[in-house]
Amino acid sequence: MVITPSAPLLAVEKLSVFYDQFRAVDSVDLTVTPGEIVSIIGANGAGKSSFLKAIVGQGGRVAGSIRFDGQDIAAWPTSRIVGAGIALVPEGRRLFPTLTVEENLRLGWDVGRRGGMTAEEVFDLFPMLREKRRVPAGQLSGGQQQMVALGRALLSDPRLMLCDEISLGLAPAIVNDLYALLEKINRRGIGIVLVEQDISRALNVAHRFYCFLEGRVSLAGVPRATGRETVMKHYFGS
Amino acid sequence: MIDTIANVLLQGILLGGLYALFALGLSFSMGVMRFVNIAHGDFIVLVSFLLLVLTTALGLNVFVALILVLPVTFAGGFLLQRFLLQRAAGSDVLLPLLITFGLSIIIQNGLLQTFGADSHVLAGAGTLQTASIALTSGIYIGVLPLLTLLTAVALVLGLDRLLNYTRLGSHIRAVADDVAAADLIGLSSGRVYALAMGIVGVTVAIAACFMGLNMNFDPTSGPDRLLIAFEAVVLGGLGSLWGTLAGGIVLGIAQTVGAHFDTAWQLIIGHVVFLVLFLLRPQGLFPKY
Ligand SMILES: Nc1ncnc2c1ncn2[C@@H]1O[C@H](COP(=O)(O)OP(=O)(O)O)[C@@H](O)[C@H]1O
Ligand SMILES: [Mg+2]
Repeated sequence: MVITPSAPLLAVEKLSVFYDQFRAVDSVDLTVTPGEIVSIIGANGAGKSSFLKAIVGQGGRVAGSIRFDGQDIAAWPTSRIVGAGIALVPEGRRLFPTLTVEENLRLGWDVGRRGGMTAEEVFDLFPMLREKRRVPAGQLSGGQQQMVALGRALLSDPRLMLCDEISLGLAPAIVNDLYALLEKINRRGIGIVLVEQDISRALNVAHRFYCFLEGRVSLAGVPRATGRETVMKHYFGS
Repeated sequence: MIDTIANVLLQGILLGGLYALFALGLSFSMGVMRFVNIAHGDFIVLVSFLLLVLTTALGLNVFVALILVLPVTFAGGFLLQRFLLQRAAGSDVLLPLLITFGLSIIIQNGLLQTFGADSHVLAGAGTLQTASIALTSGIYIGVLPLLTLLTAVALVLGLDRLLNYTRLGSHIRAVADDVAAADLIGLSSGRVYALAMGIVGVTVAIAACFMGLNMNFDPTSGPDRLLIAFEAVVLGGLGSLWGTLAGGIVLGIAQTVGAHFDTAWQLIIGHVVFLVLFLLRPQGLFPKY
């Protein structure tokens, strides 16, 4: 049997992100193939969020190329990128606090590819959200808000999901549930980029990982083939 | 005596309907886009002149003219936001104020150049402007003021439904909640703001029609309308459309009571009541933020 490497879903080359003169991301190369979970780890301020936002056309000024499914999307407006199948689950969840749970979910459908999950299917995944469907999202617990944020992304029918620190501030049991869900989503063929500060979680689920250090990729590889000490060295720099 | 009090209150409520119409578009843009459009009153006056031309030069019924004008003002609001005001979005509050202040001056001078300084009223609604209904022997209500109030109520209902029960409404509320988050998930705030301003344009046309039917207007009437609208919005509470209706009615009653004692007091009593209520309850009657 011959294993042919599938064409990348996302291919980022020499991507830099600038805030005025400051270079938050520096010449990063990164690929994601369909059905892959790729983790990005790195300390606070390493440029992880800037990188994810740049892929959806937000945040700082970018240089370099971003190809999604073969098309150069670097100059596209966010609405077009999301409509093509990339969904960002932003750091801090960023729900709309006065909109109900259901309205927040529906926004995902409105901005997306129009073929994804329905709000009902998200309620099947997270039954505790069903009874809160008419509650303003601002009144939910952090864990429930994260479920809505993931659900909102799923409603847009993404082919690639960019998840920025979804475990931040949540109880371990809830994080376990969210990760189990991510693996389930991934088995449907959706590519996932997972940004985490929790190194062991990120490495446990990932097929491949990248370590960011001060805006650059300091290490990239396959988690099981990489020793813990090597990872730590490139995480903190030395 | 009772009749007089009832009559003054009733006329005040009816006048309040007109003031609410002035204020609803401003309320919508302040609640959604968090900016004060200094040219709001001038936009109303501008559209009144447009209706004047359509009713006099073409001889159209004023409500037919209004229906023709609605898509124009929707497009006007949309384009104004997209190509001018949106450029000031995200900057501090001063820039939109300055831009709309400039627009206010441009509109007033443009109208003066075109139409002169005379004041006008809209006609072309048949006997509507003079017809009245006798409630009791001493109390009459004019059909036009009644229609004005009913229109204001209908407009609040319509805007409320639009905001709370439509997809566009949820997009508008999302952008009002968190612009940056909207942009992050691909809900482009520029487009949503432009559509919201288009809706404001529709309310401006309706306000213009009823202003022109109910009172005199001239090219410099805008700032007075803005002041009334602003007071109604603040009295009602920012972000609340029903509050704006209530604010308009409070102002209408205050002015009518003032005018009952001396017509010279009409405007000043309105402003005094505004100031007193504002000091007592700066958050407004039905605050949302
Ligand atoms: N909007 C911004 N303006 C200026 N600098 C920013 C902005 N956002 C992030 N930065 C800077 O860019 C660097 C990377 O930040 P970020 O991408 O948030 O890192 P991470 O997500 O890895 O913690 C940091 O030094 C941060 O201060
Ligand atoms: Mg971050």
